[in-house]
Amino acid sequence: MKRDAAIVLLVPTVLALALLFPALSAAAPPGQPIRYSHKVHVTDYKLDCRFCHANATKSASAGIPPVSKCMMCHRVIATDRPEIRKLAQYWKDRKPIAWVRVTELQEYTYFPHFRMVTYGKVPCLTCHPGIDKDDIAVQRQEFSMGWCLTCHRGRGVSIDCWTCHI
Amino acid sequence: MLNRRGFLKIGGATAFAALFGGCERLPKKLVPFVIPPENQALGESLWYASVCRQCEAGCGIVVRNSEGRAKKIEGNPLHPVNRGKLCARGQAGLQALYHPERLGKPLRLDGPRGSGKFREIGWEEALRLLMTGLDGVRAEAPASLLMLTEPMRGHRNLVSARFMKAFGSPHRVAWDPFGQDAHLSANEAAYGVRDLPEHDLAGTRYLLSFSGDFLETGLSPVHFGHAYGRMRAARPTVRGKFVHFGPRLSMTAASADAFLPVAPGTEGFAALGIAHVMVKEKLTPEAAGAAGLWNAGLKEFTPEAAGKKTGGSAADIEAVAREFASNQPGLAMAGDAAASCTNGVFNLSAVGLLNLLAGNVGKPGGISFPNRLAAFASFGAEAGLLLPPAESGYPAVREAVETMRKGGFRMALLSGATNPAFTLPPSLKFAEALLKVPTIVSFASFLDETTSLSDLVLPVPTFLEEWGDDIAPAGHGGDAITLGQPVVTPFRDTRSMPDVLIAAAKELGGPAAAALPWGSFRECLDKAYAGMGIDLEEARRNGGIFSGKPGAPRKGPKAGSPPLPKAAEAAFAGDPSRYPLVLHVYPSIALSDGRGANLPWLQELPDPVATAVWRNWVEVGPKTAAALGISDGDGVTVSSPFGSLQAFVFLHPAIAEGVAAMPLGQGHSRYGKYAADRGGNPYALLPASVESATKAPARQSTRVSLVKTKMKGALVRTVHPEGQGLYENIL
Repeated sequence: MKRDAAIVLLVPTVLALALLFPALSAAAPPGQPIRYSHKVHVTDYKLDCRFCHANATKSASAGIPPVSKCMMCHRVIATDRPEIRKLAQYWKDRKPIAWVRVTELQEYTYFPHFRMVTYGKVPCLTCHPGIDKDDIAVQRQEFSMGWCLTCHRGRGVSIDCWTCHI
Repeated sequence: MLNRRGFLKIGGATAFAALFGGCERLPKKLVPFVIPPENQALGESLWYASVCRQCEAGCGIVVRNSEGRAKKIEGNPLHPVNRGKLCARGQAGLQALYHPERLGKPLRLDGPRGSGKFREIGWEEALRLLMTGLDGVRAEAPASLLMLTEPMRGHRNLVSARFMKAFGSPHRVAWDPFGQDAHLSANEAAYGVRDLPEHDLAGTRYLLSFSGDFLETGLSPVHFGHAYGRMRAARPTVRGKFVHFGPRLSMTAASADAFLPVAPGTEGFAALGIAHVMVKEKLTPEAAGAAGLWNAGLKEFTPEAAGKKTGGSAADIEAVAREFASNQPGLAMAGDAAASCTNGVFNLSAVGLLNLLAGNVGKPGGISFPNRLAAFASFGAEAGLLLPPAESGYPAVREAVETMRKGGFRMALLSGATNPAFTLPPSLKFAEALLKVPTIVSFASFLDETTSLSDLVLPVPTFLEEWGDDIAPAGHGGDAITLGQPVVTPFRDTRSMPDVLIAAAKELGGPAAAALPWGSFRECLDKAYAGMGIDLEEARRNGGIFSGKPGAPRKGPKAGSPPLPKAAEAAFAGDPSRYPLVLHVYPSIALSDGRGANLPWLQELPDPVATAVWRNWVEVGPKTAAALGISDGDGVTVSSPFGSLQAFVFLHPAIAEGVAAMPLGQGHSRYGKYAADRGGNPYALLPASVESATKAPARQSTRVSLVKTKMKGALVRTVHPEGQGLYENIL
């Protein structure tokens, strides 16, 4: 019976590790399907963040631009670059691009982008510092509760629990 | 060694680990659209108004769309037919949209004809095959093109009609197993109007139903359900009374104050018994003035005679007659089971006579005949093509089958959910005849018994993905036009039938191209309604054009004493000594005529009376069952002179004795995995007999025998309808 008990413990442990491993490994710098540079678009060509992340003004999620939006410009701009060719291939195949998530916020937190962006007039770079200078985007700001509350207190907006934890 | 307990422990722990692994916090990949749907905002719902096509009722719907996906269908609150309500069949429309067996590419026959074996091809090749067929037929004999569809209405029908006319073929046949032929003839006889009336259920005080299962199936169940609720509860001092005559306690009958069982096909005699009492006792002014009727023979139809025919009691008929006459406005309605006997027109005319004697024609709480054509006056001769056709088309279908058998058709275009290979009586041998047509092209979303016989199947969008317009057959004053629009971007490679016909007409050129001069079906709709001077954008947002100001109704009955319907007995095929029971078939509340059988939500919807799921059954009364030596849950072989099938017995506590009842809709052989192996097809028990006056199909026209048979498995039910007894196979 002891051996049975060992099996009982061992099997789920191994399985749980196997299942969790991909989640742990994703913490490494993400390999994006296309080398998209925020620096080129935002700093060099002065595009507004909300041009691509258009949902930020009206929805909880800022959203990732659809391929059709990329192609609005890249039908004619820089069409000979290898990365843009990759993009054009996605467009030609009518395939969506599976970007790797960069910014993570705990899933028990409700963060409505439109409330910050449209009503709070919070600049994007407050929560996404340095992303405008990134060739490969990374998350530089950890969203701890203390960090959020500092800003909320400073602006005199609600710090009720259920403002963010609904 | 592991013992059983140890194994279960490991199993449980593994399941926990698997669940734990599934709790990964956030999606690691963010996959945006290639082309986003219009006006969408992430996490925000959009609602689009459109029209439900899960049955013929034509309810207005609003569909919740989130991130480009349809998530929920509800009734359109602005729509006069369903007023914000929707039935289970409508809700299940989502499953048709996302169905794993939906056709996403054209299919070309890849095996012997009729084998149902296909391979996917591109649209270019498919259209070339279609055009090759059409060109060949047009060159040699244009009239040998057959178009066999479900009943169509709105501009979809207009496009098809113009196409066939310009092509040069008169053979456009629409098949509806539940057509209203007998109602039309009876209304013509009783009221002088060959049309379907509006029943003001909500305003009536006393409702008599003769086998009219209007709350579950029939012309417009959601409309009648809503009106019924208002009849019962919306007036502070009146609670309308409802008495139901019929062979079995259906869900509608179960909602009545009194259910009076009658033998199948004797509804007309019950109605004449009531009329007899009304006239004899001069209970209403109209009845008092109907001496002509009395002398024409009504005096013979005493309540005692009616009781004898129907198997009911004379006292009940007298009581109902007096209550009906003294609670005006009263309303008498008849349903499919009364209409689809061989004496259907007699049954319905007798029911019509009650409305005449009650004097409720054209009055609130009674029946009226709206002028549905008035809404389309600007279409001139083609206006009639836009209205809901009420006929079954059975005579034309039979003629077409005969012509097919003789090799008279060179090409057939098939479309629609009425699935003739499944719903026609087997003795017509539809499938065999169809295969004599050299080229068969189907427009379909799913392969079924009919479409799988084709040489070429062209996939069409579901009703949630296409443009359209619709005129409901009941529930409005003739002034409601429903507009359909895609509520999602079609995510299969489909083209609607009118779009394909318009494209084909362009290829054909000449008169066909001139008859269908649009670039697409949407353009056809836009131009048609732009000509009516309305804001189409606004109308589509609302789900249609509902003026709320119906035109003047059509003229009521002719003056003078109403005619006495010519009494006729219902005929049932089969020798009573060999086939002791009369078969009563009824459309299933969930599956309708069978079209819903491939949707799991509808399969798992318990029947409101039998509470059974995923299978069909045969209902018999306790006395009948005892005489045959069968009991609840037994397997039996149901045999008619035309076919046989196996089913489990459901001991129905309230069904006329000597009757076996079966729901229609199950028993598919080629309608995908969800519809397969669900019992036999009751249509296969039916004779090819017809209603004697209209030649519409007479489903209630055969006798059957039940013989106890060993069957695998069991009928799965939720509860006993009377709350008593224990089933082993409850859900």
